[in-house]
Order: sequence, then C-alpha cells, then structure tokens
Amino acid sequence: MSFLRTATRRGLLGALGLLGTGAAAFALAPLRRVRMAIDDVRRKGRGKHWWGMAIDLDLCTSCGACVVACKSENNVPNNGSAPDHAGAGIAWMNLVPKEGSESNDPIELLPTPCMHCENPPCIKVCPVNATYQNDEGLVAMIYDRCIGCRYCEIACPYSVRFFNWTEPNWAEEHKNLLNPDVSTRPEGVVEKCTFCSQRLRKTKENARLDGRELVDEELQKLPACAQACPAEAIVFGDLADGKSRVSRLSRSPRVFRLLEHLGARPKVFYLSRDRRES
Amino acid sequence: MGSLLEVDGRRGSSELRWWSLAVFLAGLVALGMFGYAQQLMHGDLVSGLRTIGQGGAAWGLYIVFDITFVGLAFGGLVFMTVVRLFHLRALRPLSRMAQIMALISLGMAGLCVIADLGRPLQGLLNFPKYARPMSPFFGTFSLVTCTGCVATFIYLWLDSRADAATQAARGGFLRPLHLLMAAGWRNTPAEAWRHKQTSYLLALALLPFMLIGASTLGFVFGIQAARPGWFGTLQAPGFVVLALISSMGVLTLIAAAARRKPSLAAAIRPEIFGWLGNMMWILTAVYLYIVAIEELTASYAASAVETRVADSLISGAYAVPFWTAMACFVVPAVLLFLQFLRRRVSVATTVICALLLNAAAIVKRLLIVVPSQTEGLLLPYPKGHYLPSWVELAVIGGLIALGVLACLVFARLFPIVPLITLADERSVPHADERPKQRASRLFLTGATLCAGLALAVTGFLLSARFGTERWQDPLVPFSPILFISGMVLIFGSALVYELLPDAGKRAPDPVNR
Repeated sequence: MSFLRTATRRGLLGALGLLGTGAAAFALAPLRRVRMAIDDVRRKGRGKHWWGMAIDLDLCTSCGACVVACKSENNVPNNGSAPDHAGAGIAWMNLVPKEGSESNDPIELLPTPCMHCENPPCIKVCPVNATYQNDEGLVAMIYDRCIGCRYCEIACPYSVRFFNWTEPNWAEEHKNLLNPDVSTRPEGVVEKCTFCSQRLRKTKENARLDGRELVDEELQKLPACAQACPAEAIVFGDLADGKSRVSRLSRSPRVFRLLEHLGARPKVFYLSRDRRES
Repeated sequence: MGSLLEVDGRRGSSELRWWSLAVFLAGLVALGMFGYAQQLMHGDLVSGLRTIGQGGAAWGLYIVFDITFVGLAFGGLVFMTVVRLFHLRALRPLSRMAQIMALISLGMAGLCVIADLGRPLQGLLNFPKYARPMSPFFGTFSLVTCTGCVATFIYLWLDSRADAATQAARGGFLRPLHLLMAAGWRNTPAEAWRHKQTSYLLALALLPFMLIGASTLGFVFGIQAARPGWFGTLQAPGFVVLALISSMGVLTLIAAAARRKPSLAAAIRPEIFGWLGNMMWILTAVYLYIVAIEELTASYAASAVETRVADSLISGAYAVPFWTAMACFVVPAVLLFLQFLRRRVSVATTVICALLLNAAAIVKRLLIVVPSQTEGLLLPYPKGHYLPSWVELAVIGGLIALGVLACLVFARLFPIVPLITLADERSVPHADERPKQRASRLFLTGATLCAGLALAVTGFLLSARFGTERWQDPLVPFSPILFISGMVLIFGSALVYELLPDAGKRAPDPVNR
C-alpha cells in the first residue's frame, strides 16, 4: 500500500478514472445481449403447437397397459422393486386410486402422467433452470443440469416427479431392449413424463421431410401410453388446433382437470360422466 | 485475560480435557465423513428419504439442519449487530462468540445443502452458473451462504484487529497469525474512530440483509401452494423467531462453556445469562403465539388436506413429537419467566432451558418439513413416513462436531471474549486524519461501494431476466457470480475504508476494557 502514500492526487484520480471506465464498460457490455434477448422473446411468443392429453375415465378399464408401455418406451428403471428399496420407485405414468375408493378396486384407478401444466409450479422453484417449459408447452428436463435438490418434486401437486435414489436398475433381459431414442437418467437426478417427446420429434421430422403439416390422426396415439391403451381412452394432440380431437375433448361438458383450484392449469383433461374429481 | 491459551494451575488437566474433547469430536467428524462416503457410493437410497407419494419424504434431516444452521447464523448476527448498534455493553463479552457462531453456522449450512443434493458436484458448478432469483434457493445460496459468510468474516476480522495486535505484541508461536489478523493495526486514535464508524455501518447493513436472507428460507416452504401445511404468510416470520430462539440458546451454551475457564468467569457475568434468558422466554412466547395461530387457522381450513396435516400434529401420527416439542418450549419459557420475576439468575437453569429450547426447535423444524410431505398429499396416494437413517444421523452428527471443533480451535487460537472494546465505546474520541488523506480514503471506499452496487444490480438483472420469459437461463452464464461479487464488494468497502493505512501517530497503549 506504500504507493498510496507516494502517489499524487492527479495520478491517483487518473488511475481510478481508468478503473471506473473499465468497470462501467464491463458492467454495460451485456446490455446489448439483454436487448437482443428481449426482442427475441417478443418475436417468438408461444409456439405453433400446444400439446395436451385427454383421458376418458368412462372408457378406461385401469388395465395398466399404459403404465407398462410407458416404462418400456422411456427406459423407466425398476428402482424400488427390491424390498429395501420401497418408496424409491419410478412410474412416469401412474395409477392413483380415486378418492373414496378402495385401493384394491381396479376400476377406480386414475392414470396420472405429468400434467405439463401451463403454469407449472415445479419450474418456478428449480434453482438452476434444469426444468423448463418449451415453446410448445411441454415441461422438459435437462438431466445434465439437474443438481438433485428435489425442490421440483416437493412443488409438484400431482407427485409425478421422481428422483433417482440409486443407479438405474433394469431386469437383465430388459437391459438389451432399452430404447435408443431415450437417454437413461443417472443417479441423483429427477425425471418425469415427457409426453414421449422423442416420438413427437420423429413424427415432426418425418412430416417435414414429406413436406406436409402434422395431421391429428398421427398424433392421437403418439405417446406410448395412448398407443397401448386397448380402450382408446387416452388421446394426445394439439390444443392450439381447435379441430383436433384432444381440443374437442377438452371442451366436453364431461371434462375436469385435477386440482384446478391451484391455478397450475394442467394440460391433461379427464373426462367422466359424473365429473368426479379424484 | 480472555484467551483460552492462558494458563492456570490446572493447565495439565484442562489441556488433557481439551485434547480428549477434540479427539472425540474429530472421531465424530470421521464417522460423518464415512457416512457421506456411503451416500456418495450407494446413492441417496442409504438415507431414510424416499419419493413423495410412494410412502416417503423427499426432504428430511439435512434440510432441517440447514434451517437450523442458517437460523443460528442469523441469530448470531442479530445479536452482534444489536449489541453494537444499541451499545449494550453488558452483552459485549458475547459478541465475538456470536460472530464466530454465525460464521461457523453459515459454513455448516452450506455443507448441509451439499449433503442433501443428489449431485453435489453439479450443484457446486451449476448454482453459480445458472442460479435464478425466481427460486428461493437463489437467496439461500447467494445471500446467506456466500455473501453472509464473507460479510460475517469481514465484521469478525475488523472487530478482532485490536485484540490481534495486542496478542501479537505478546509474542508466541501464533504471532504471525495474529499479525496477519491485526492487518497493520497501530492503535491510533484515527484508526479507533474509523473502526467505530465502520462497525456501526456494517452492523446497520448486516441486520436487514440477514433478515432478508433468513426469510428466503421461510419462503422455500411458504410459497408452496401445493404443500398443505407450508403455504402461508407466517412461515418467514416463524422461521425468523425460531432462529432467534435457537441462536440465543446456543449462545447460552457457548457462554456457559467459556465460563468454565476461570479467566473468563469474571467477564461472562451471571447477568449476561439473565439477558439471554429473558430474550429466550420472550421469543418463545412470540413463537408459541405464532404456532397457536397457525394450528387454529389450519383447523378451520376449507381444504380437507390442510386439516389432515394439522390433525396429524395435534392428534395423529406426529402428536407425540409435537406435544413433546411444545412442552420443551413451554417449560423453559415458564422457568425463565419465573427467573425474571424473581430477579435472581441461575446459570444452570438458563443452560438447561437453552438445551430444552434447542431440542424443541429442532423437533419443531422436523415437524414443519416432514408432515406436509407424508400427510399433505393432494391426490389419494398412500401416506408416507420418514425416519432418518444412520447415514443421515452420522453426517449431521459429524457436521455438528465439526462446528464445535472449529469453535474450540478458534477459542484456543484467539480470545473468544474481546480484550479491547473500542467499537462500542461511546467515549472513543473523534480523531480525523489529514483532509487530503481522508478524501482519498473516502473516494476509494465510495468507488468500491459503487462498483459493488453496479455489479450486484447488473448480476441480479442478468440473472432475473426481467421482461423476458420467467424460465430461462441467466442472460450471461455465471451472472449470479456477478451479483455475489457485487454484494461482497459492498461489504468489502468496509475493509477498504478501515485497512487503508493512515499517517497518524501510534498511541501509547490499547484502550483496555
């Protein structure tokens, strides 16, 4: 600090001036990027598609085919199957007993995938933006970025986010049958239903190569759960397309959404004659 | 006086006791490290935590103790700032204990979060790179863990310089360390006057800063609309009051332990325990009022799940720990209130009450964190349960032992009771330096402060992305680091103001208390 005693006032002020200019330039440099990003978002807005799902409970037989198909398609591990691993299981598509029903009554089960909410509570709390909503309304995960704090699991009202408490575990015969289109998730990250985004991506790519628009018929049974459902109770599609089947079903008088009072605006619509909310 | 290094006739036995305790604590730390190694090797499955909705709770003991440690840090900072701002000379002997408690607790809180993370290494990288102000964890990470640590360290260092210079003058093998801590303290009147100003302004800035930091931890729970039992406006104030109760309790325990040293018994008078006891019963009364309001409101809630969570505490699965915790709040509060009425202070009673209150605070935090996950399920999933595994208990035990060990080592290396009390002496005379030098000092301090403010605002805006989609990355990677650096510079301006050397004459002797 001896230079501070010997320096002249003019020299000191000059040095400080230079330092200040450098600091100001450093602080202001990102402003251009700020402006560009704001413009970018304003231009982009919401995407062309807005994906959603309808599940007709009057058709659903609670057979569980959707659960099995989802596990197979998405490389969902069998964590939690061992006796000492109870409570560590992962099921992107789950069957939840309806309120008031006996849990062993197979008719009274409610298929619950991720609701891909319009106003997702899980996204708001993620400290590192490892989960986000894309232009088409899908709530997606960046597994590499997830730090495993489980705050999104805590925040999800539907309890459809699952933490990998251990390394993924598959049956020996299943290990050679993993879907190459879906990445496996490491220990320590949260995972969830993606509405089979890998199938969606492939279908969009095929349509692009054929030089045509996506058609509703090829989307209705696109996710594995919808494809496997023998009763055709699950319908997927574009809610932004007013003529799509899912869009029409979402306007049915039989429709209800789970926990609507929370304001998350889920994009999975349930249809039931008695509109009995679970 | 003051230093635990000072010896008395029973030096041999006290040395043996110190080393025995240190070895025992080091053993606990090793056990904690072994437990954490198990967790790293086999995954979080070795903990008692499980998936919500599948019979478990995703957050447990690690989060409970994160809240506990942040609370202790907040309480320690409140104590030292209040002592400084209001010139509470009677409590001044405990101010350094409060500072060291705050600093160590902040470090322990950070380690608790790391223990809880599924991928701790990614956490250490991705928090600084992507942290978003929209998540309450941003405040916990940036304000509490990072900035809080630095700000507390700066306060502790500046407040210890005079004592460090005195210790260095006495010589000994720790002289280089003491000289480093003294940072050129020459005990000039101008230095003393500057420290008086700096400590006042630092205390003034730290109080609201840590209040915001501690409240963000309440928001972690309070903003969860989907978790019955958590969502509510009383979470943040409840956390703050509970933090103050437990920190006053731990401070009581530290003071009682320090008082066992004969050279410190005179400085830590029983009246100090009277003050601490009074603070504890008043705060406990306020907290019981908050708990009563919360439970009463929840029992009238329209939502069946809200009442289910409340009932699980009052008469359900968690009734035994809940009522035990309540008893551990009420009994010490009544005992301390009676002590206040009788105007006679019993150190032993205050210590027992402090222990009970801390046990109650930990159980209450567990009852805030767990039942909302196991009972507060909005869809009809099976109810869950949570019992910490040996791994969690070992890791938490190791962390507590590490904190106590750090406190013991500090007390061995440095006076834990201030020798010199310049900062809170109203009588420190106004002493100024030459106008030219003062102008340079003020200019450099102001420049640091402005640069800090600019960096903090820029970093916050780049991280928050106001005006754009809410769920996007910070505009510039690592801009949370800009925010933290700015906050550190703001508090670091105190270092610039105080540590720039002056040309004043050396005073003959430090002002001894």
